[in-house]
Order: sequence, then C-alpha cells, then structure tokens
Amino acid sequence: MKNKFLKPFAFSAIITAMIFSSCSSDDSTTDNGGGNQEPTAERYITVAGAMMQETDGDGNGGTKVFAVKKSEALNPEFSIDVYGNGEPVLSNRTARLQSSEDGNTLFNIAYTGDNGGTFSKYAVKGGASFPQQDVSVNISQYAGTSPRWAKLFDGDKTGIAVNVTAPVVNTTEDGVYINTRGVATVLALDLQNVLISSYKQFEIPLTTAEEALGHHIFRLDAPVLNKAGNKLLIGLWMRKTNPATGQVDSNFTRLGSKTLVVDYPALTNPQVITSTVGFGDTTGYRSFNSYLGQDGNIYQATQRDSGGSHILKIGQNNQYDNSYVFSLDSALGVTGSYVDSWRYAGDGIAYVMYSHAGAENQGFIARLDLNARTATQVVLPYEPGLDFGQYQGFVVDGDDVIVAVTPVGKDGNIYSFNRKTGAVTKGAKLINRAGNHYIGVF
Amino acid sequence: MYFKRFFLITLVLIVAQVANAQYKLSGTVFDGSGNSLNNAEVKLVNSTVSETTLSNTEGKYHFSNISNGSYQLIVSIYGYKEFINIEIANSDLSQDLVLFSYNTEESLEDMVINFVSAKSEIEKSGFAVNVIETKDAALRNIQTNELLDRSVGVRVRQNGGLGSSVNYNLNGLSGNAIKIFVDGIPISTYGPSFSLNSIPPALIERIEVYKGVVPIYLSEDALGGAINVVLKNGLRNSLNASLSYGSFNTTQANFNGIMRRDSGFTVKASGFLNNTDNDYEVWGNAVKVTMPNGREENVRAKRFNDSYRSIGGQVEAGFTDVSWADHFFVGFNASDVYNEIQHGTYMRNPYKGRFVESESQVISLNYKKEDFLVDGLKFGFTATHSNRAEVVNDTVKWVYNWLGEQSLGLNGEPILTQQGAQQGAPTILHSKRKIYSLRANLAYEFLPNQVIAFNQLYNSFDRKDNDEMKSILERNFIDTRKMTKSISSFAYEAKFFDSKFKTNFFTKIYNQKIEKFKPVLKTEDGQSVRVIEESKNQFNYVGYGGAFSYLIRPAIIVMASAEKAIRMPSESETFGEVGENIVENFGLKAEVSNNFNLGFKIGPYKNTNHSFSFGASGFFRDTKDKISKRINSRLNDAEQVTPFENLQKTKTIGYEAEFTYIYKEKLNFLINATKFNTLFNRQFNPEGKQYDYYNQQVPNEPFFTINASVQYMLKDLVQKNSILNLYYNYGYVESFYVNWLEVEQYRTLDQNIHDVGLSYVFPNKQFVLSFDAKNILNNEAYDNFAVQKPGRAFYMKINYTFNKF
Repeated sequence: MKNKFLKPFAFSAIITAMIFSSCSSDDSTTDNGGGNQEPTAERYITVAGAMMQETDGDGNGGTKVFAVKKSEALNPEFSIDVYGNGEPVLSNRTARLQSSEDGNTLFNIAYTGDNGGTFSKYAVKGGASFPQQDVSVNISQYAGTSPRWAKLFDGDKTGIAVNVTAPVVNTTEDGVYINTRGVATVLALDLQNVLISSYKQFEIPLTTAEEALGHHIFRLDAPVLNKAGNKLLIGLWMRKTNPATGQVDSNFTRLGSKTLVVDYPALTNPQVITSTVGFGDTTGYRSFNSYLGQDGNIYQATQRDSGGSHILKIGQNNQYDNSYVFSLDSALGVTGSYVDSWRYAGDGIAYVMYSHAGAENQGFIARLDLNARTATQVVLPYEPGLDFGQYQGFVVDGDDVIVAVTPVGKDGNIYSFNRKTGAVTKGAKLINRAGNHYIGVF
Repeated sequence: MYFKRFFLITLVLIVAQVANAQYKLSGTVFDGSGNSLNNAEVKLVNSTVSETTLSNTEGKYHFSNISNGSYQLIVSIYGYKEFINIEIANSDLSQDLVLFSYNTEESLEDMVINFVSAKSEIEKSGFAVNVIETKDAALRNIQTNELLDRSVGVRVRQNGGLGSSVNYNLNGLSGNAIKIFVDGIPISTYGPSFSLNSIPPALIERIEVYKGVVPIYLSEDALGGAINVVLKNGLRNSLNASLSYGSFNTTQANFNGIMRRDSGFTVKASGFLNNTDNDYEVWGNAVKVTMPNGREENVRAKRFNDSYRSIGGQVEAGFTDVSWADHFFVGFNASDVYNEIQHGTYMRNPYKGRFVESESQVISLNYKKEDFLVDGLKFGFTATHSNRAEVVNDTVKWVYNWLGEQSLGLNGEPILTQQGAQQGAPTILHSKRKIYSLRANLAYEFLPNQVIAFNQLYNSFDRKDNDEMKSILERNFIDTRKMTKSISSFAYEAKFFDSKFKTNFFTKIYNQKIEKFKPVLKTEDGQSVRVIEESKNQFNYVGYGGAFSYLIRPAIIVMASAEKAIRMPSESETFGEVGENIVENFGLKAEVSNNFNLGFKIGPYKNTNHSFSFGASGFFRDTKDKISKRINSRLNDAEQVTPFENLQKTKTIGYEAEFTYIYKEKLNFLINATKFNTLFNRQFNPEGKQYDYYNQQVPNEPFFTINASVQYMLKDLVQKNSILNLYYNYGYVESFYVNWLEVEQYRTLDQNIHDVGLSYVFPNKQFVLSFDAKNILNNEAYDNFAVQKPGRAFYMKINYTFNKF
C-alpha cells in the first residue's frame, strides 16, 4: 500500500514515512516499558467462543478469542463479536483455555489434531492481539493429544494435566473376573518457564470389594491443591464392568463420590477418598470442578449424581467431611440437578451453572451460599438453547463474578454478579452466529 | 497413441489343397480383447503388390489370387495399426489378425464417431465417466493408484507409501460413498489384501471411473461414484512378467499368463508380490522429537514402522468362445498381506510395532453368453464366496519418537503410552468374515437399438471378532453381525437418430437386512444363563436416474446424467460399536444424494500429423440426511454413548476439463484440471441466523488439482526397431485447510510434484526396460491430515511379454 502512493507523490511519501516511523516508535515504547500503563491498569477480559462443526452447539469447529477492557465488558452499550473480530486459538477441537489471575496471559493446550497436547502461552494485548510468549511445549507423549488439565491457584506457577489409560478387564486364567484397571498419569507443567517439571504414572486400586463389583476409574480431571500445598486432589469419573460378562454396564448403582489424593509436589502416594454424601463423578467438564475455599476446605461439585448434584466438602485433613450435606436438588427445589460448571467467588459464595431433569439440557445460573447451604436462581433471561455443557471460564475480579451467557445460535450478554450483594449487572452484548456459543471469559 | 509392443503374431499355416498357383488369404480381425472388428482396413503389400480390403460385419476379410511369396499385412483402424509378416507357400492361408493395442468391449457397429476406442465409447455413453487405459503404465513403475490419481476428478488419498491405507475421492465424495469393483465385483469381496495396488497395471485392461451416476451393472449403494477395474480378457496365448526394484527397498513382481486350446479350454493364471521397507524420509512440520521437558525439535527422520509385503495369486480355468458360453470360468484367488502402521490420522506421534496381517481366499464362478437362448439376449452370472481373516496387532506399551527410539521421561525411564498400546488399548484382534456374493444380469435387445436390462445383486456378510488381549470373560460376550443386501436394477437403453442420441433410464431397488447377535446373561430358574439376543433391522429404498448423450456432429458429443442415489447405513452405524462409543439407532435412514452431471467431449480430431481431443464437464450434488454422529457433552461417554443421526447437508459443485494432443504418434500431451467445492449447506438456524460455515469448503479435502504429462517416442535410437519412450508428469495440488478454522497453521503447502521416466522397448518387442524417477525435486508432498508422502525415489523395471505358444 505504501508503494502505491510513494511513486506518484513524493511529498505524500515523506509524510507517510514520518507517520509510519512515529507509529512504530510508539509501539516499541509500549512494548518495552509499558509506558502507557495507567496507575491502576484495567483488567482485560478475554471472551472465548466455540464454533460448531456439524451439529448446533457441538463446539468442535474451533475456538476464537477477543480481549476487551473490563469497563467495556461491563458496558451494555458495547458489542463484542468474537467470531467476526476474534483470533483463532490453535486447536483442532475446542481449545482448553485458562488464564493468569491478572488476565494478562492466556494459556492453552490444543485438543486433538496434529498439535494436540501442545501447550502455548499468549500475552493478552487487547482486541485480537495475542502474541505467543516463549516456545510451545508438548505434553502429548505423557498425557496424550487430548489432555485434561487445570491451572492450580498458586500464583500462575503450575498447571496439572491428568490422564488414565483405557481400563483393562483382568480375569483369572479360567475367566473369573478380578478387576478393571488403567494406568494413571499426573503431570506438572511449569507455566512460568514453559517446561514439564515432573510426572508420575501409577495404577490406582479401589477396595477389593468395589473392584469385585466391577467399579473402576475411567477418567481423571479437575485437579486442585489443598491449603497446606502438600496434597493434590484430582476428580474421578467412575465406570463399571459387569463382572458376569466383562462388558461395560450401562446402568449401575453408583458408589460414593471419589477423589484421588496424591502428595504434592512429589505426585506419589495415590490414595482414593470416598464420600458418603454424594454419589456422582467429580471431574467436571473441561474446566475447574473443585475449589479451595477461604475457610481452608475444598468444595467440589458432582456430576451424574444419582441424587442430583451435590457440593461436597473435603477438610484440611484431605478427607471428605460427610457431615456437610449440600444437595442442589433440595436447595433449588428441582430434581436431577447437574452442575455443568461453577466458580467459587470468595466468602463462601459461589456461582453455579446447572441444568436439571425436565429442563432438556437448558442451563441456569444459581448463587450458592456454601456456609448456609442455600441456593438462589439468578434472575436472567433464560431460554431454551442456553446450554452451559461446554462452559469453561468465569472471571472473579474484586467483587465481580463475570460470565458470558449466550444460547446456542443467539446473541447474548456478558453479566456481572456482585458476590457480596448478589446484584446482577448486564454487560456487553455478545454477537453470536448460528450453531455457536460463547464458552467463557478469562 | 499406439505402440507396436505386442507385436509378433503366430504364423499358423494350414496346408490346403494346391489347386493352382493362385491362393486365397482370409481370416478375422480381432481387437485386443478378442472381439471381432468390422470396417478394419487390411492391406497386403510386398515389393510388387498392394491390395486393400475392409473387414466385414463379422470381422472377416478376404484376398484371392495371391501368388507365392512373402508379404506384409497391415491392419489398421482409427489410427491403430499392426504389421504381420506372412508367407504364401503353395496353399491358401487362414490368418487371424489381432490389433493388440486396440480394445473395445463392443463391436464397432455402435461406433458413431470418427475415432473411437473402448475408452471413448464408454466415455461417450452419457455417464460422467472417464476411462484410464493402462497399456503404457504396464511398462512403467506406476502403481494402479497413481494412475487413478492422475486422472481427472479423482484424488487418491494415501496415508503414506506403498501399502498404506487408501481413500478414494471422486469429485469430493469419499469413504463409503465410493465403491471399487474388479470386473464388476466389489473389491471388498477379495479382502483387504486385494487392494487396487495389489493389481499391477499389467493385468488391467482399463479402469472406468464413474462419477456420480453409476450404471446398473455396477449396482451398489454408491452415492458418489464407482471405480471399475476391467482386467485383461484377451483370448490369445500369452505371458507377461515384470520385476521392479527401487527406492526404499521396494520390490514388485508380477506375472500373468493365459493359454487357450482349440477346444476352447482356457487357463488364466496371475500372481503378484510386493515388498517394501517404506523407510522414506519425512521432515514436515509434524515431524518432531519431544524432549523429556516437553520442548520440541524438528527433525528429518526415516519412517521405521512402515514395511509392507503382499503376495497373491489367481488361477482360473474354463472355456471361452464355445457354443454354450462366451466365457465360463471357475477360479480361485488367495492373497496374504503384512502391513506395518507408522502412525494414526496425524503424523505427530509415530507408532512402533503396530501391524496388520490379513489373508483371504476367494472361490469364484463366472459365466457370460451373448445370444443366450434367443438372439439378442445377453446373460451374465457371477458367484463368489470369500473367507477373510485379519489380525490387528498392537501391544507395545511404550512411547516412541520419530527417531525410532523409546521416549524417555524426566526421570530417564520409558514413558507408558496413553491407552496402553500405540493407537489405543492393547489388541490382537482377529476378525473373520465370510462373504457370499451373487450377481446376475440379463439384457435383451427386443427391437433394434432398444435394450432392456435387469441386474440383481445379492450379498451376505458375516463377521466375527475375537480380541486375544481381552479377557476370556469379555470374549464370550462379543457380538456377531450379519448383513445381507440385495439390489435389483432395471434399465432401458435406447438409441435414436442413427444412434446419435443415446438414452439410459434406470431404477434401483435397495434392500438391506442387518442382524446382530449379542450374547447376554439371562436369569432362568434362578440360574444365570448365556443366551443370544437377536436384533435386526431392514430397509427398503428406491433410487432412479438417467443418462443421455447426443452426437451433435461427428466428434462432438454432449452428455448429461442425473440420479437420486442412495447409501444405506452400515451395520455399525445402525447397531452401534461399543468400542467406538456409538450407540444403536434403529431409525437411521439412508443417505440420499441428488447428482447431476453435464459435459461435452470434442474429438479426437485428426489429420496426418495432429490429433487432439477436449472434454469438460460440470457436476452438482446435493446430499441430504448425511449420516453423522450426534454430540452431547453431558452424556457419560463411559456408559451412555451417542448414536449416528441423519443430520448434515452438503452441496458440491465442480468442474473438470481434459485436453489431449498427439503429434505423429510420437508426442503425446495431456493436461487435466479438477476443481470442486464441497460446501456446508445449512444456511439458517431456526432463529434465522446464518451459519458461519455456510458455503464454506469442507476442510481436509484437496479441491483443486492439475495434472499434466508429456510423452515422447523415439524409434530406432540405439538399436534398429527399438523404441525409446520419455515421460514427464507434473502434478499440482492447491493448498487446502485441514480444519474448519481457516488459519495458516492448519493449511498444507501448495504441492508441485515432478516425475520423469523412460522406457526402452527392445527390438524383439519382448523385453521392456524402464526407469522412473518420482518427485525429482524432492518437494514436500502431503495428503489428508497433512501426512507426508515419499520424496525423491527411483525405480527400475523389466517387463517381459511373450505371445507365442
């Protein structure tokens, strides 16, 4: 474009050159010293949208991100079109995103495909600008090309990726069922130096009685660090073999919810703890599912729970506190509640995205008081097609809990909830496309 | 282009009564397939005599009043020529003439164009079809799949080198939508060991590629088209053998012989052997070595788990050209394959020790007769029974890197793979399949140029799996599947206006029955008993279509075809596959596609020195109820799995063109280009918003390709009567995205592949020596999902043909 004007008009060429050079010097000062930074830098909110591939809402067509200032995100007059203006995240299917606590760095592990298992780190510069920082690191030889991972709340130092191999049915030589087991991998990623810092592989036995019935661990996900920082608690997704046929049982009586506890940072000494309150899986889906509360206890949601989702409590002794009973079914007055995604907001307050029996996968948001064990549905324009099944990202900034709410294929909005008062503020408009949905803010 | 390769003809002298000094010469003119040729020019020359005659409708020719002496007979038709030396010695001579390089399945009375071969005859039948002739390829180091790949509108997508899995893409449709046939019999009947690549071009008469609309004698539920490989069917005694060796320790050998007694008793035998290490170098973006801390380094590496070996043979015995059959054969075919697998869909993680062994045995019966029972009635019948066994072996539990070394973890110890073996869970999976296939067709010309045809196909398919790595308990409860399919087709073919206008209307009735036998435990009298639970499902569908061609003026023809095509759901799509998390869906419908093709062909126009032809066609395909898998993230894919559903719609629009030019039968130039766009075809969601991917190209499919080849023939260069052929081939594939997100990182490079080769035909015409250099510039060549194909490679081949028994 420069050439086009240079040749015929020497004068304008000089002007152009001056403009360009002054621009670039501005850029470099911004890059080098952060000269533009205001005294209290406003947090970026990175909005992520998942595109569909074949079916409305499948989210398999890739992920795009776009960053705005918090004030813009909370401005209902402001519009964000992540599909039109955003930057694609390198991932064959929906990216598995996490962000730094200050929102200035975005972390991604590509899911499936040629670069599946590749961890990359991006600086958030506003708009569609996400320059990659440092090199990429590939964890696929330890954790596969579709790893499940979460960032620890340890000041952006560590990410933990987990995996379990396809469970194998073991029998005696004459075909009598013994157990079904896979091999688990737990891997620690140094987010600052972009390196794999340690990993361990081991089998995780259940009790002999549980294993004799065919119960086994099918998947690991959603790791969280305890208050002492010496144990890692990892959610478990259970499955059952029919001991009489060796085939997968599609309908079975669930055991109490379980969590794997390993020493940290050694990642050794695997122990399984079992709740007598919840009977669901504790892995969540594609994002956090367990949080360390300010009271030092860990709060964990359940999925596919026979009694509807519960919030379970794990004490500082790293055992389930079975005296703590918080059933979402009874707190919300529904049946078959199902926590898609949730976030601890501080002071015993949490926001949970859920669905329930009869809602035909429609999603809702509720404000939980973990201490009082109460839940209140947040007043929002709910409608069919609102589905938080793939939701990944909440931002907790000060007293604000920020979420993206879009039904599949329809425009929606960013909302901000005040964790203290419960007040709901409508934020920027999220422009949507057919079959797509927004999967989080970071 | 014509070569005098299959040159020498047996001179058979029949001593007759000597009446006087003037003798008669007579015989029949045949094409290379043994069909008689009418209107062939037969010229008898020596230093003093030059006489010319034409063969009659039965292909017979006749000269009388010939004196003793040596003569040359020159038989020619449409530019094809053969030279035969004869001697008249005190008797009449009966001499049949064979135009080996010229083939047509039909006799010449159908010919309406100036220059016609089987190729152009089929290509001008109204169907969107192109015919690949293999006579040149037979002398070179070209695999059958490469031949197809250079053909207009065809992409052969191969996951690596020789022996790797192959997927055919015809104008944008692939997978189950494309069916492959050998002599009208689905290749799947012969088992996985019998891939198109295990059929050397030397055994192939020609390959017919039908795009979209498929004629009824290839009845299958082929939505996107069909490839029919027609094997050599010559009736003469001959032997052909070849041996080739080249890069990556690749050896390919094959032979093919036929012997016919005067009684009509005929024996055909053929065999092949392919063996390769396939250890070609790869260096693309995905070829990296990961260090224990996760940092990566790009490397150049040789493939280390990709060797391939296949061996097979076929014997057929029967009768040809006898009063009760044109063709009757009982045959046996056996083949055996060992194939190592280097990686999965993507190249990122190489495999070690994953391989597949398979073997198959096929018994076949073939019968064909024209004027069966009554004049004008054609009858054909084929029955095959095949046994197939396959073992997939994958038990290595450690991760390997592209250097072929065990990957070591941070603590220096080997890393366990994610699923317990290289691709998934450890497996030694034995699959046994039994396939019965019956096929019959009847065609009756009830009035001149008016034919009705009926075709019936019946297929039954039994499958039993057994995984050694599974516990005895699990193996007792693996289900078995049975599928039977029958397709009845009716067609009406007619020619009007001096055969200038040809039509073909057809309807196909599809019937499919699938059954599953699942062992379950039932409680009877308080006892657990293993019983077999049976479930089945049946479908009926009707498809129809038509094809038309019109000869506007000599050598200019327009063609159109349209079909409502059906693809029935496969047994795993209906019944589910526990291992792949697919649940059954008994309501699953067939995939329906409306196909339209329109095209024209001009030529070949020819004068003394130049000949050219040009053709182009366009197509449109509208696919509905496309079978795809439902996604639900909230379901427990551990215990509740998702079914297939009829969801998707796609639309494909494409064009293709081909131009050939021949100069003095010396220079042969061909160029073709194909462009198609398979587009996501759902425009609006229920709220009226447009889908992002509406009208976007479906990723992972090359959609624009060009192929060009030049061939030049030099005669008498080194030795007298020798022929030297020089070849150059250029292939271009435009870069394409491998992901719905159209970002540069998910895009392949533009591919420019140059191949050169030469072949030398020795003066005795029995030996041909050839040399080929593939991808001479060592450019990166990619296939689907960015899998790298071999770089520069060299091959030598010797071919021997013997026609005198």
